[in-house]
Amino acid sequence: MSLFSKKLDTDYEMTWCPGCPNHMILAGVKQAIKSLKKQKYKHESFALTTDVGCSSKIFDYININGLYGLHGRAIPAALGLTLGNPNLNVMAFMGDGGAYSEGISHFIHAARFNSNMTIIVHDNQSFSLTTGQCTPTSQIGFKSKAEPMGEVNQPLNPVKMAIASGMTFIARTNAKDIAHTAEVIEKAIKHPGCSFVEIIQDCLIFNKEINNKDKLMYKIKDNKNKAKAELLANQWDYNGKNGKIPIGVIYQEILPTLQDKWPRLKELKDKKIGWAQK
Amino acid sequence: MRLNILIGGKAGQGINKISEIVAKVMNSYGYFTFNYRDYPSLIRGGHNYNILSISDKRVGSYESMLDGIIAMDDNTVKLHKKILKKDGFVITPKGFENLGRNLNVAQSGALIKVFGLPKELLINEIEEQFHNPDSNKAGELGYNSQQNKYGLKRLPNVITKMVGNVGIAKGAIDSGINLYIAYPMTPSTGVLHALAGEQEKHGFMVFQPENEISVVNSALGASFAGAKTMIGSSGGGYDLMTEGLSMQGMSEIPLVVYLSARPGPGSGIPTYHIQGDLDIALRGGHGEFPRIVVMPGDPIEAQEKTNECFYLSEKYGMLSIILGDKHVAESEFSTSNTAKKPIKVKVKRDLPLIDGIVKASSYEHDKDGNTTESAKWAKLNADNRTKKYDRAKEEISKKFEMIKIHGNPESKNIIVGSGSTKGVILDAIEGLDYKFLQVLYAKPISNEIKQHLQSAAKVILIEQNVTGQLGRLIREKTGISIANRILKYDGLPFESDKLRADIQQF
Repeated sequence: MSLFSKKLDTDYEMTWCPGCPNHMILAGVKQAIKSLKKQKYKHESFALTTDVGCSSKIFDYININGLYGLHGRAIPAALGLTLGNPNLNVMAFMGDGGAYSEGISHFIHAARFNSNMTIIVHDNQSFSLTTGQCTPTSQIGFKSKAEPMGEVNQPLNPVKMAIASGMTFIARTNAKDIAHTAEVIEKAIKHPGCSFVEIIQDCLIFNKEINNKDKLMYKIKDNKNKAKAELLANQWDYNGKNGKIPIGVIYQEILPTLQDKWPRLKELKDKKIGWAQK
Repeated sequence: MRLNILIGGKAGQGINKISEIVAKVMNSYGYFTFNYRDYPSLIRGGHNYNILSISDKRVGSYESMLDGIIAMDDNTVKLHKKILKKDGFVITPKGFENLGRNLNVAQSGALIKVFGLPKELLINEIEEQFHNPDSNKAGELGYNSQQNKYGLKRLPNVITKMVGNVGIAKGAIDSGINLYIAYPMTPSTGVLHALAGEQEKHGFMVFQPENEISVVNSALGASFAGAKTMIGSSGGGYDLMTEGLSMQGMSEIPLVVYLSARPGPGSGIPTYHIQGDLDIALRGGHGEFPRIVVMPGDPIEAQEKTNECFYLSEKYGMLSIILGDKHVAESEFSTSNTAKKPIKVKVKRDLPLIDGIVKASSYEHDKDGNTTESAKWAKLNADNRTKKYDRAKEEISKKFEMIKIHGNPESKNIIVGSGSTKGVILDAIEGLDYKFLQVLYAKPISNEIKQHLQSAAKVILIEQNVTGQLGRLIREKTGISIANRILKYDGLPFESDKLRADIQQF
């Protein structure tokens, strides 16, 4: 094994906007990994894949294994990592554009495959690195340079979609609440199967009218009841600042993972080895 | 001695079983076979046919006139009798009306008798295939219904039979494949099926994700994590993958891709034949990055070149593309040769978890894998990618066959071709004063091609496409434009006698 630093920080120059909630999401992710390391998770067992966009810059700011992927493709890249070595703890970081627009098919099938990985979506309801166009979660009326007359379509509710897709772990957090985000991400990583954490964040530059929803958010207890999960998902439709926004573990169930279902992967997992060590 | 037998009927009637039984019996008696499969994109009904070519020497094509027709329905005779030779024979379902599903077994028996082979060989094969006394009886009934027309004698050849897709699957297994990831698309699907059937025995995994975009991106993820990974598709599916191929160029994660061409553009003619995708094999994906492109011409070459691709991809962090097409993928070739001993493919690069922390990126990156927009790194990395290709080319030139010379090696008349035209060109030039230069590596391409062409009195390019893509590649690399061209692009392979006549026009 080659030498490597067990620090999570890197000395890479931060290029997120000053004050961007991405800084807080990064802090939450690091906190979750630190906590898991104390529980005997190996530092080198963590891996991330990324999309393209502001969210994905996290690749350079955290010292874990990483595959910086293509726009919308963090999920299949992460799936691949779990096929390539089922002992990795893989997180796929995406924005709402990559996850719900460009890569939507992967999201649905990731739920179906239930491979052991965590999808983390930084949802600020706009494409930001491309200077503020509408995404599938933008509210009706959002005016951008690409949509000067305003968004006309009803936003997609990713939590409802995740429930309908059969995702076995669904959570939502507030980017500004670092401790809660860390706690939920830790639970998501521990979940056997595919987990999904939707992080509501503000963008300080684009689609600012949808910002500051903190007062609508309230923490829920971990929920394992599907009917209740659907009620929770329906409490906010992403279309404005009406209703309540539940945060926490909205749904969890334990089903066989891809690693349970495929004998070769199970063998690698049981023996704690990768293909290259067979 | 060469015979061409057309076996036709409706999809689902079992024509492939006839060609399989007959070919296996003929092979065991020392005769070479080549079986071309012609079928439209449907599952039941319609009209399918195979042309089984039989020879006492190697054979890799069929001819334009038939020695016999095995008709499982009336339509087959109507459609094909115009190309039956005057002394040709026809075996219809007459006399076998009550056999049901065993009609194909009876007709196989009838054909074996026409060739004059012993009944025991036939019955042994039927027994092995079906374990059904009714099938044995049907075979016997068919055998007894005909006269011995050809009186073929046993030959001492030891012959095996394989399709190109199985050759590719074998090459992958020889290389110690861990993962084959693919979404079905004709004519690449045979590799998906062949490998899926072998995965438990050999301890690897075959996975079919939601689409080709997921195929290539999950393959890059899996390979990054240390799995020896191959993916496969045909034209449209490959198009969807090309952004991922470009990411391979930047991330330098080893990746082997099987591209099996079918006539396009668009959805084209899915189950027919063309060599139309050399250009996309060479160029698919944005940006400039190195790659390997091989063009095997038969199943044994497919097996060997697939192994070379795994080796080169792993050693150089390179994209390797095995370019095939329906004719080499699905036609059944027979041979008395076996593949060379495979090269061991070892994963020596740093792997996440196993070797610590590793980063790979679709973005331009520094030595630690972190994103950079620096002009220094941009140039350095581009130069390194080029140097890597040069090193790979040097090793390939020393170790692997980039071209093959067939026919008369001293001849001043050269035919240039690649891939699936190999079989038919060899058959067409038999006895003619021609040297056949078969191009096996399109990228890198052999420096020797130029010398051969410069010393030639006459050069003919033979390709199955509209624009002469191999000719264009050779012109780009050598500056030599081949004016004499025989191109075919109607979805059907060349017939060796017609190709021979075309060659003799020059």
